[in-house]
Amino acid sequence: METEPDEYHDCFMQDGVLLKQAPSSHMTALNTIGTLYIYEVTRSGESCNKKLLLEWKQNDITVDSDVQYQEWAVVNTVQKRIRTLSENMPEHHNRSKSLKINFDEIKSFKVCNKNRQLTFYDGTSERICGFLFQHGNCEHLVGMLKTILKVGVSRRDKQIYVVYDSNSPEFQELNRSFAALNLKNEDNSFWHMFKHFKENPYEGSLGAFAKVTNFVYRSVEGSDPDILSRDELYSSITELDDGVPHSGGEYEVINALPQLPRRKEFPRCNPLTEEQWRSQFNSLGQLEDVDSIKNLIFRGGVSPTIRKEVWKFLLDYFPWDSTDLDRQQLINKKNEEYYVMKLQWKSISQKQEDNFSDYAQRKCQVIKDVNRTDRTLEFYAGDNNINIQTLGDILMTYVMYNFDLGYVQGMSDLLSPILWLMQDENDSFWCFVGFMEKVMSNFDIDQAGMKEQLTQLRVLLSFIDPVLANYLEKHDCGNMFFCFRWLLVWFKRELNQDDILRFWEVLWTGYPCHNFHLLVSVAILEHESEALMENDNGFTEILKYINELSGKLNMELMLNKAEGIYNQIKEADHLTDSVRSILGLPLIGTKNRGSEEQSSQQESPFESPDLSTPRTEPCCSVDNVRISPDEIAFEKSISSSFL
Amino acid sequence: MASRKKILLKVVILGESSVGKTSLMNQYVNRKFSNQYKATIGADFLTKEVTIDDRTVTMQIWDTAGQERFQSLGVAFYRGADCCVLVFDVTAPSTFKSLDSWRDEFLIQASPRDPENFPFVLLGNKDDLEPRAISAKRAQQWCQNKNNMPYFETSAKSGSNVEQAFLAIAKNALAQQNSTVDLYNEFPDQIKLTNTQKPSGSGDSCSC
Ligand SMILES: Nc1nc2c(ncn2[C@@H]2O[C@H](COP(=O)(O)OP(=O)(O)OP(=O)(O)O)[C@@H](O)[C@H]2O)c(=O)[nH]1
Ligand SMILES: [Mg+2]
Repeated sequence: METEPDEYHDCFMQDGVLLKQAPSSHMTALNTIGTLYIYEVTRSGESCNKKLLLEWKQNDITVDSDVQYQEWAVVNTVQKRIRTLSENMPEHHNRSKSLKINFDEIKSFKVCNKNRQLTFYDGTSERICGFLFQHGNCEHLVGMLKTILKVGVSRRDKQIYVVYDSNSPEFQELNRSFAALNLKNEDNSFWHMFKHFKENPYEGSLGAFAKVTNFVYRSVEGSDPDILSRDELYSSITELDDGVPHSGGEYEVINALPQLPRRKEFPRCNPLTEEQWRSQFNSLGQLEDVDSIKNLIFRGGVSPTIRKEVWKFLLDYFPWDSTDLDRQQLINKKNEEYYVMKLQWKSISQKQEDNFSDYAQRKCQVIKDVNRTDRTLEFYAGDNNINIQTLGDILMTYVMYNFDLGYVQGMSDLLSPILWLMQDENDSFWCFVGFMEKVMSNFDIDQAGMKEQLTQLRVLLSFIDPVLANYLEKHDCGNMFFCFRWLLVWFKRELNQDDILRFWEVLWTGYPCHNFHLLVSVAILEHESEALMENDNGFTEILKYINELSGKLNMELMLNKAEGIYNQIKEADHLTDSVRSILGLPLIGTKNRGSEEQSSQQESPFESPDLSTPRTEPCCSVDNVRISPDEIAFEKSISSSFL
Repeated sequence: MASRKKILLKVVILGESSVGKTSLMNQYVNRKFSNQYKATIGADFLTKEVTIDDRTVTMQIWDTAGQERFQSLGVAFYRGADCCVLVFDVTAPSTFKSLDSWRDEFLIQASPRDPENFPFVLLGNKDDLEPRAISAKRAQQWCQNKNNMPYFETSAKSGSNVEQAFLAIAKNALAQQNSTVDLYNEFPDQIKLTNTQKPSGSGDSCSC
């Protein structure tokens, strides 16, 4: 044994690999096709000195680089080729046409372009080299890499795998979390289950531990450490585990230890009082400090005595900087405008209506719906109720105001509390117009706005409660449809009249961020997560559970939690631009040009013309917003199920 | 199939807004009618146990919003249905005219494995109201062209015929479920996927 020459042992091989990025020494080989190998070298005389190498070797015959991706070729072909090509191994590793990479050099690698592109980095944000996989994708190679290297997913970019060395903070943290778990003194069966992670490739255990530690931290934060029961841990691990090592096509996103900052309490305050409100006006009747008023309203709402007046500002009927005089003139002008529009449809004859089906349809739906709107409130109760009539008149006038949108189910729910409060047709109409401006896209004809909201909700939930988000994904609930009603009419169907007035006025301030109602939704889901994940609940059970929360939600508590969540997100160091953009926070990718995210975006290889085959899908940036592959997959699933 | 496994029948109610889908469901399950029901947003369902030929089955009745633009949500709710109930309002002609599109839309979105023989039941609701716009004869004619779809005239308000209609719905759903179960048991996998059509079937409309 000792006297044998250098011994090569092939561990992996894949052909159809295009060299996309390389050191200057290999410039001429760029964009040519080759084969990637991983092999083990045993030095002669040093049988214990085994070394792994990664090598790309140019093919002898130049293959037309227009070869289309062949997804079907993935596994079998590669194996077959290993057999046929291995005859030429190993001494043919011709230097001029090959590129060798030492595994020690690799500090991180990035998988993108639907797993077809793999780029290696040396840790100084310099590329070592990059490959494009024309036959199938790089999943198998990445699988190999994960068994060879200790890797975790980058906090900043889910497409980047970071190679840990045992001195890295991540690694230390991992060990600490493991130790913390140990302290729980769980009985053997629990650790039994853990064993197979240990025996598994490093990546598998790392991924799973990341989730466990996540779980541990989250639970410990949640005041009662006893909720860290073995069963919960077990289910969270097993459920997460099955997706970790190999997930078909898209890589499982492993939250490698991204810890959210501690959640703070944001107790609600008292409503804005009449005194506070009046004291804010100057002698011209202009509000002095709009921001602090809005902030007070966000914190505690508006006291009922001034609500009628304040809502006109909140709903942009009255401009915030208007004077008394401005408002007087505005009211007269708007009043006139309203009655002109009302007259337009009131004067349509039956005959005209018969010949104007678009109009007739809208009118018909309005009448059907107002008769089913809040009839339990005294204000709208009973036969021939005049307020129901007014509700219909306002909605019909809105149809004339915005005929293209027309009337969509749900709008009567939005108008009802406004009319109930204002008790004035003209004021109610213009306030309703203001509300509609805020939620218009919920009523898109193609439901694009609702799809987007549901997608955004899911992105936020994965950030805050990845365990629940993951559970929903795996139980046919990834589309978040069960939250449709919440979002369409801003919880109108879930809260009682008093609560809805308070809830809406808080949301209308636009504080503390865009889409705060989505954070409220996240707060509720998180609050209910245990019940939602019970008994292997699927779509049916979850929809029922959510629907039955109607009337049981504690609105003030949810606002409190949602604000806590907002602050956690804002301070999280793994905050992504996709989350920032949902909440209207400034995007980092566009501001700090030197940041890692930006640099990886700039080098994005998708600009290369030969990559623009129809199969190529952007998975890097859309208007400077980073979108991870799983988000795209989700969007795809959501839009295909809408189709 | 002598197994005593619990049987769940999924039934989906479709039709224009305000024809009385929610009211029918509540009348059948809770024996109640209220003028105060709200227009449906999103979807909901109720369950009821029924006994058919000595077997106790659970009916899961799904109710969705009627306005056209919300139909695109359907796919999430139609999946796995055993029977589809189409409802129109006997006093509103437009609700009758749109039945074809509701039926087509359901078949597209639910994509049952044997669309030709998928069970539908038609309900002409608000039987208690005058004046009628769609006669029973006209509705029956429409049904004849649709594989002899069963037809019932109901009133969610008075409750008339509601029980009978849903019993027929349950039976059809059960028959549908049994036929798919048979299909599973009789053929090996490959055949199951590509050859669900009975020999007498007119066309090869599945497998797409
Ligand atoms: N007279 C009478 N009225 C009915 C009957 N069924 C329903 N209604 C009334 O018709 C209106 C609409 O009923 P819903 O059950 O809400 O209709 P829907 O089909 O669920 O409507 P969407 O939820 O908008 O799709 C309500 O005002 C009911 O009270 C009936 O059999 N007779
Ligand atoms: Mg309904």
